[in-house]
Amino acid sequence: MTAPVKAAAYPSPADEDRDGLAQWLLSTDHKRIGLLTIGTSLVMFLFNGALALTMRSQLAQPEMHVLSPQQYLQFVTMHGTGMIALTITPLAIGLGVYLVPLQVGAPRIAAPRSTLLGYWLYALGALLLIGGFVTPTGGADSSWWGYTPLSNSIYSPGYGQSLWTGGVFLVACGAILQGATTLWTALRMRAPHVTMLRVPVFTWTSIVTSLMVLAGFPALLLAMGEIAAERIDPHAFAGNGWNVLYENLFWFYGHPVVYVMFFPFVGCVAEALATFTGRRYFAYRGTVLALLVFAAGSMSVWGHHMFATGQQVNDYFSLTSIMLAVPAGVEYFGFLGTLWGGRLRYTTSMLFALAFIPQFLIGGLTGILIANPALDYQLNNSYFIVAHFHYTLFAGSVTGFFAGFYLWFPKATGYLLSERLGKLHWLLMVTGANATFIPFFFLGYDGMPRWVATYPASSGFGTPSLIASIGAGIIGLSFCVLIWNVYGSVRAKAPAGDNPWQAHTLEWATSSPPPRFNFDLTHPVPRVHSYAPLFDLRQQARQRKQETERGQRTGRREPPGKDEA
Amino acid sequence: MPFQSAFSQLFTQDVIIAWAVFGLVLFGIAGAMVYSRYRRKKGQGPSQAVDANRTEIGYAAALVCIVVFLVYSSFTANAKDYPDPPKPAAQVTVTGFQWCWRFHYQGTSFTATGQCQGLRSLPVLVVPVGEPVRLSLTSTDVIHAVWMPQWKFKLYAYPGEVNTATLTIPRAGKWMNRCAQLCGLYHYEMDFWLQAVPPAAFRSYLRTGRL
Repeated sequence: MTAPVKAAAYPSPADEDRDGLAQWLLSTDHKRIGLLTIGTSLVMFLFNGALALTMRSQLAQPEMHVLSPQQYLQFVTMHGTGMIALTITPLAIGLGVYLVPLQVGAPRIAAPRSTLLGYWLYALGALLLIGGFVTPTGGADSSWWGYTPLSNSIYSPGYGQSLWTGGVFLVACGAILQGATTLWTALRMRAPHVTMLRVPVFTWTSIVTSLMVLAGFPALLLAMGEIAAERIDPHAFAGNGWNVLYENLFWFYGHPVVYVMFFPFVGCVAEALATFTGRRYFAYRGTVLALLVFAAGSMSVWGHHMFATGQQVNDYFSLTSIMLAVPAGVEYFGFLGTLWGGRLRYTTSMLFALAFIPQFLIGGLTGILIANPALDYQLNNSYFIVAHFHYTLFAGSVTGFFAGFYLWFPKATGYLLSERLGKLHWLLMVTGANATFIPFFFLGYDGMPRWVATYPASSGFGTPSLIASIGAGIIGLSFCVLIWNVYGSVRAKAPAGDNPWQAHTLEWATSSPPPRFNFDLTHPVPRVHSYAPLFDLRQQARQRKQETERGQRTGRREPPGKDEA
Repeated sequence: MPFQSAFSQLFTQDVIIAWAVFGLVLFGIAGAMVYSRYRRKKGQGPSQAVDANRTEIGYAAALVCIVVFLVYSSFTANAKDYPDPPKPAAQVTVTGFQWCWRFHYQGTSFTATGQCQGLRSLPVLVVPVGEPVRLSLTSTDVIHAVWMPQWKFKLYAYPGEVNTATLTIPRAGKWMNRCAQLCGLYHYEMDFWLQAVPPAAFRSYLRTGRL
């Protein structure tokens, strides 16, 4: 009845409604900025994934030379930096930019121009990083750590390393801007009645993520400043203390970023679990508390990356790192508590969420192993570590991302994805991920160091490496299925409707895709009583229906006003 | 050999705990899937429970106890790796450089090195069996790291800084070791041998440079 008022009710700048590239790149709509960030990250994902497949083809057998040692180091540096700084971090932050305003019932993001600037800085940084490959000496080749003195102008004289330093700096600035505006939105722009303990779990994961971005990323800016100084004058900082300082600065960013690249995907999994078990997320308060404790704790564990350096207080960092098992365990309580007693619907999103739980757990449990200095003296910088962080980042975070991707794709585009192709993608990705990363544990335990361009035949690393390379091929195939699915579904245009999954949170109360200012007269923000507002509405409707039926049977009306109590 | 014994003991213990936790979670997921089918058959909707605070607090307390135990094991194992150093039978300065190693036996004029290009040209670090050897690790250019996978030992070698550790190799043999910190183009070739020989043979090696 109110449909004709829609356009008039909220001012909608006409030029922003058009779909040209310029309108997207200049849009102050958080949904467009979010989708730009997520879309760019996915392109980066495919690019850096292709680098990984090339490296896996080199490592499939001993003494292979698909790539020269120099190219290999450039690829491994780009793959590491690219996946962490250009893919999973912006993916994590971009999801927040898209979803947080919707989930808290806000018409827009706080400081949209700063959010957009954040995207530009990220895109520019990505161009600089990749641009290294077209310089005469190629890209940066001192790994994603960029440890000094290897990254200074004596040992890495090429332009690639300079572009890398500038690129990482810009990307970090962009992340800080987007994290800050997301945090501001969650804290200051919630709709009436949306208290802090009524925001969805995903928004909470986004809040703690932004807190860690703000606390940890400035250290990366300082670290890049140190490299920049050493690239201008390699003798600027005399003494090894500066190298150790760089390591401390880098990991002061480098550990929180691990959880930045993890929490939003925990949020995706939590929302998928709540939706597809048909119940409120279990132990919400415990989960929120665990997230906050985890974020605080994440700021004092960085030294565990330096156990083997002989320059760190190992016992202290072993204590703080192992302590994180408590909030992590409380998060798992929420996962399992939600599953237990739910009525499970095995959609693609749910399958990814279910795979996330044990796969991330492998990353977490091996993380506790390497939080022991006595174990890390063996496993540090080995393929065991490579296995560990690929379990957290790929088998964990990326799997969790797809729980969110299949959940929210209909919301963001208005179209349903094919469930059959989605399940094929899931099957291939889970098979491929485990086939790739399980052999890494054995390689590392048996003595294979990371960052090696090749290995001798006598080492015995050949068979596990071959299995890993085949697994990587299967992962590559799974992404072909995904691309096919997205392409086919966008062409098929099967309409999603506002809430195809019977999900619980506010973004599902509006249209798919949501209007320019998120909610309008046909899709107002409903009154929010809990962190699952749409679930409340459905429950109320069901109760009312039951009461009416009961009333009709007994021929008696319920006393008025009973609902209100 | 402290590093190896501490590693083996702690690794076995923690891996057993990890498997137990992993098994419990898998069991929980499988159980929830079966329970969901059961509820569906009985026509029950999803459970309306929103939390279980007492259970959760009890569970968190149990986690704290496990963590206390894990931290205790971590501290005791680490204390075994870096005890007050025994008086070493030999002291070797291990110098990493782009892209090989040099071993200088302190108190002698003897230095061993190699080419790091293929198995035959690798440098050999010779140590006496059963006697404590103190390694002083350093570098002339970028950061390297000595990794002896067989003996579960790893330590960084920094330019302008000396890191020390004391190893006691319990039996005679020859083992491959690697550089574990990315140090540039030929990082992957920076391997070396560790060879443990009887003390008498070690002394003659220091005099003659041959085994």
